[in-house]
Amino acid sequence: MSVRFVFLRVLGILPLLLGVSLILFAVLHLAPGGPLDVYADNPSVSQEALREMKVALGLDKPLPIQYLAWVGAFMRGQWGYSYRTGDPVVQDIASRIPATLALGGTAFLLSLLIAIPLGILSAVRRYSALDHAVTFTSFLGISMPVFWLALMLQLLFAVYLHWLPSAGMVTIGDGSLVDRLKHLALPASILAVASVAGWSRYVRSSMTDILSQDFVRTARAKGLSERIVIYRHALRNALIPVITVVALDFATILSGAVITETIFAWPGMGRLFIDSMNGRDYPVLMGLMMLGSFALVLTNFLTDLIYALVDPRISYG
Amino acid sequence: MGILMQYRPMGGLLVGALILLGGISLAQEKGGTLTVALGYDIDTLNVYSTGYLGDVQAAVAEGLLAPDAKAQYVPVLATEVPTLKNGGIKLTDGGQKMVITYHLRPGVKWSDGQPFTCDDVTFTWEAVKNPKFIAESKDGTEDVDHIECPNSQTAVVYYKHVAPDFASTLFTFGILPKHTLEGKDLNTDSYNQKPLGTGPFVVSDWAKGQYVITKRNPLYWRKDASGQQLPYLDSIIFKIIPDANTAVTQLKSGEVQMAYNVPYSQVESLKQVAGLKILKNRILSWQHLDFNFRNPVLQDINVRKAIAYAINKEAISKALGGFPEAIDSVVLPVFPFYNPNLPKYTYDPAKAKQLLDAAGYTLGSDGIRAKGGKRLSFKIMSQSGRTNDEVAQQVIIANLKDIGIEAMPDNKAGVAFREARYKGNYDLFYSGWITSADPNYCVFFCSDGPNNGQGYSNPKLDTILKQAQNTIDPDKRKELLFQFQDILANDAVSLPITTNPSIIAVTDKLQNFVPNPTNMTNFVDTSRWWLKR
Amino acid sequence: MDKSQSIPRWLPRRESFLGQVLHRFFKHKLAVAGLGILVLLGLVSILAPVLTPYGYDQQNVALMGQPRSPSSQHWMGTDELGRDSFTRVLYGARVSLRVGLLSALVATLLGTLVGALAGFYGHWVDPLLMRFTDVMLSIPLLPLVILLSGILHPSVALLVGIIGGLGWMSTARIVRGQFLKLRSAEYVEAIRALGGSNNRIMFRHILPNTVGPIVVATTLSVGNAILLESALSFLGLGVQPPTPTWGNLLNAAQGWLSQAPWLALFPGLFILITVLAINFLGDGLRDALDPRL
Repeated sequence: MSVRFVFLRVLGILPLLLGVSLILFAVLHLAPGGPLDVYADNPSVSQEALREMKVALGLDKPLPIQYLAWVGAFMRGQWGYSYRTGDPVVQDIASRIPATLALGGTAFLLSLLIAIPLGILSAVRRYSALDHAVTFTSFLGISMPVFWLALMLQLLFAVYLHWLPSAGMVTIGDGSLVDRLKHLALPASILAVASVAGWSRYVRSSMTDILSQDFVRTARAKGLSERIVIYRHALRNALIPVITVVALDFATILSGAVITETIFAWPGMGRLFIDSMNGRDYPVLMGLMMLGSFALVLTNFLTDLIYALVDPRISYG
Repeated sequence: MGILMQYRPMGGLLVGALILLGGISLAQEKGGTLTVALGYDIDTLNVYSTGYLGDVQAAVAEGLLAPDAKAQYVPVLATEVPTLKNGGIKLTDGGQKMVITYHLRPGVKWSDGQPFTCDDVTFTWEAVKNPKFIAESKDGTEDVDHIECPNSQTAVVYYKHVAPDFASTLFTFGILPKHTLEGKDLNTDSYNQKPLGTGPFVVSDWAKGQYVITKRNPLYWRKDASGQQLPYLDSIIFKIIPDANTAVTQLKSGEVQMAYNVPYSQVESLKQVAGLKILKNRILSWQHLDFNFRNPVLQDINVRKAIAYAINKEAISKALGGFPEAIDSVVLPVFPFYNPNLPKYTYDPAKAKQLLDAAGYTLGSDGIRAKGGKRLSFKIMSQSGRTNDEVAQQVIIANLKDIGIEAMPDNKAGVAFREARYKGNYDLFYSGWITSADPNYCVFFCSDGPNNGQGYSNPKLDTILKQAQNTIDPDKRKELLFQFQDILANDAVSLPITTNPSIIAVTDKLQNFVPNPTNMTNFVDTSRWWLKR
Repeated sequence: MDKSQSIPRWLPRRESFLGQVLHRFFKHKLAVAGLGILVLLGLVSILAPVLTPYGYDQQNVALMGQPRSPSSQHWMGTDELGRDSFTRVLYGARVSLRVGLLSALVATLLGTLVGALAGFYGHWVDPLLMRFTDVMLSIPLLPLVILLSGILHPSVALLVGIIGGLGWMSTARIVRGQFLKLRSAEYVEAIRALGGSNNRIMFRHILPNTVGPIVVATTLSVGNAILLESALSFLGLGVQPPTPTWGNLLNAAQGWLSQAPWLALFPGLFILITVLAINFLGDGLRDALDPRL
């Protein structure tokens, strides 16, 4: 892997993000109705005030200019101002990032810790009862409507058993680690279900592939113990293709916890997204969507890098 | 009781002791925190610019007057409610204008220690009136001509015309502090995050999207009968839980102790929860089905009347657990000017069909009536996410289908909903309005009414309502408002469907809490609330 | 016992390609079960008017106010408007399956078109279309679907457009890959030499060879579309009642979860079973169509 490779790859990201922003901007601004329409018939807001508001928000200019202004604001790093709160978009979003990271990060780690061992076990003991059970459960997991599971578990653990809090991020005034973990338990587990189900399938199939390859057979023929074959030789190679899937899912977890955050009143970016959508808060919506896209693009880039690192055959251009 | 029976021989002495003990245990206890579920994510804590009713704001900011639990105005920062009788209201210019004199409560301090004076009253009017300030409500600002401050404790408000609803607007919502806000841009000032008020509680922390913590205001002016300074509670925490079902879950698990607007469907399950009591707050709100008068088909009064006869209000009430009650006027029966002798549209599908037949709408092969190729097919909007409204809407849709009218749901949320409501982007519209203790119906039904999204325009009605708006004599007002209700019912402008009671679930430990039916929220009088240990 | 004994006799002989595929498919018991369940569901939803005496929006004032538990008249109980839940679940299957199938179809058509054009023509067409695909793939899907639904308040048709219109990218990539591989294959060169037109080569000769991966991708995206519809309806952004979908039935059941859990149980189970069946079917098809995996 050369510096040139990294450079070219980074260079490729910019037009991608530009394309994304263009599409998002078009979607938001070609939609019927604008953010100020709600004031239009309100006599409390004079025509003069409405005009001033439009000018202040830059909504009086033609769309292409508005787009350029947005790109400028994005580059300068405040990403425009929220229509709802009047704060810089970056500030509104930043205040929600820790919550989303805590939830997404926990779910991610949880998924990894469960999915990888399950997948390996499944592959090593292919066609055993355990393998069938894991396969079936993971099929259940990817077929499950997440919110349905969330409602059922919320009912069970918070209402009937009183083991866990039903919603929120902390008990107000508490905030100890135990308290936070308790609040995290349900939403993080639910977010993890789909990932665990998907990833364990990938680990299994990737591991199965590798185990049937020549170098593994050679290692076995050399008389190495099964454990060494699996963990030293097979696993490392089996995990490489899994990285792509896992990384992309991580980006999605970050941007897509909308439903889980709604059910558990989790004050993260998913909730901000819904509120901004209801409030037609275009700058915040743009910011959130761009952040999600950026996470996707970045993880794509990083997996490419990792691939290039582990597999010297891959080159660029 | 058991104890009394057992120790009967000791008689009076013990009974006396018990009463004494009872008295002690019933004495207000200071301290404690009440956690309340709020069903929306607060946008701003400025009561004039928020898009919601100001629950938190009501505990922090005070007005000169406030409506009590019976929707009667009581003095807060004023020492008495101005009336014609006590000389607080004077009519001038031959009854064309009015002057209201407020005597301001002495010794009241803002929670930062500065004194509250008449200058704050003047400033509030000027600041809210300022066209640069983007406010959700500027009601009442245009009625005022100017304000004079003869001394710091007296405010004299000169009105351009007689405004009998003066108490329900500007100076009741809340007074703004001049000393911190003068010269500031109210659209972006930090007041919107940490409002400064004279009220019993002070905002100490607002974690956006999560909660607002309010703490006792140590400088609060109100004292109880024994001279103890109020409020009793240490703190009220408003927890933001947008999903109503999650809020119910939190009530059950004890994580919140109070929630209002509990979905009717959840009431039965909440009744089983020990330590919770369920209150029915008969808020000043009515549910209505509106017609869009821009739609030529709906301009036909026979179509409107047919729809009126087709709707089974009792079924709607039943579907919603029997909590809402069927009504026949947009003026709720609690008001003295409620007209009980209106034409009633009792559920009568046969009559509805007759009306449509007579109007020339014949049943097509698809079960929908049509005239000259024009099908009776309408978009019916309600607010998505409001479970009660969506349930009622489905009864209405089924009722209309029965008489050969197709109604297709077109529900919206947030700004899209409000925009459609105010601009009339619907054919039929089912929703509710909540009013102050002194409702101004012109807002909804006058040709230029800001909340008139229906596009209804009737000069006769305009005259009557504008006249009522300028009449302070209660009998004259009543007569005018009777006429208004008559026209509205006969013209089938907006069909009153049911009342809209708000169900409150609250810990039975909370004492002195009485639901408030007005748009000033349940938190308008929090200083006397206390928690039994 | 010889495993091939369980293969139906009416199948084409295993020597033909189709025969091999079917042979492999019928070995996958879960896939067969999945197919059976889906066929059954399809039949049941089509026959709904025959299977139930009630209309999907038929209310019963006598039963209003409270959901009633399952009984002999109402196998899955009734909702708070006295509507028969079994009927609503059956009719819900119509909408949910329709949304699932049609949006998968839209996605597949779009994806095949984009992929085929890019893979076949190369030159400037390929980079252009593929960069566009990259851009679309870089936008988080769920928020974008939610955003569009929130702005447009979709009908069933529009919902199909949104879900399908945003789900074509992976198919496009697969198809393009196949086309790139096959474009220079010997038999294509031969047809070209014989004067076959581009369209003919593309649609008659290359496309049939890419059917396997496309079928698998389409099958799986039916399941995803059903899940997506239910999620949107759960947020109140999907098809609006009284038209039932499994998603909006669940949304309505939310308020009755503790008192009438069966209202949430049945639509939830139907989603689960349907998507599960689809995923098994997809898995079986993958094994059958592409033995290398």
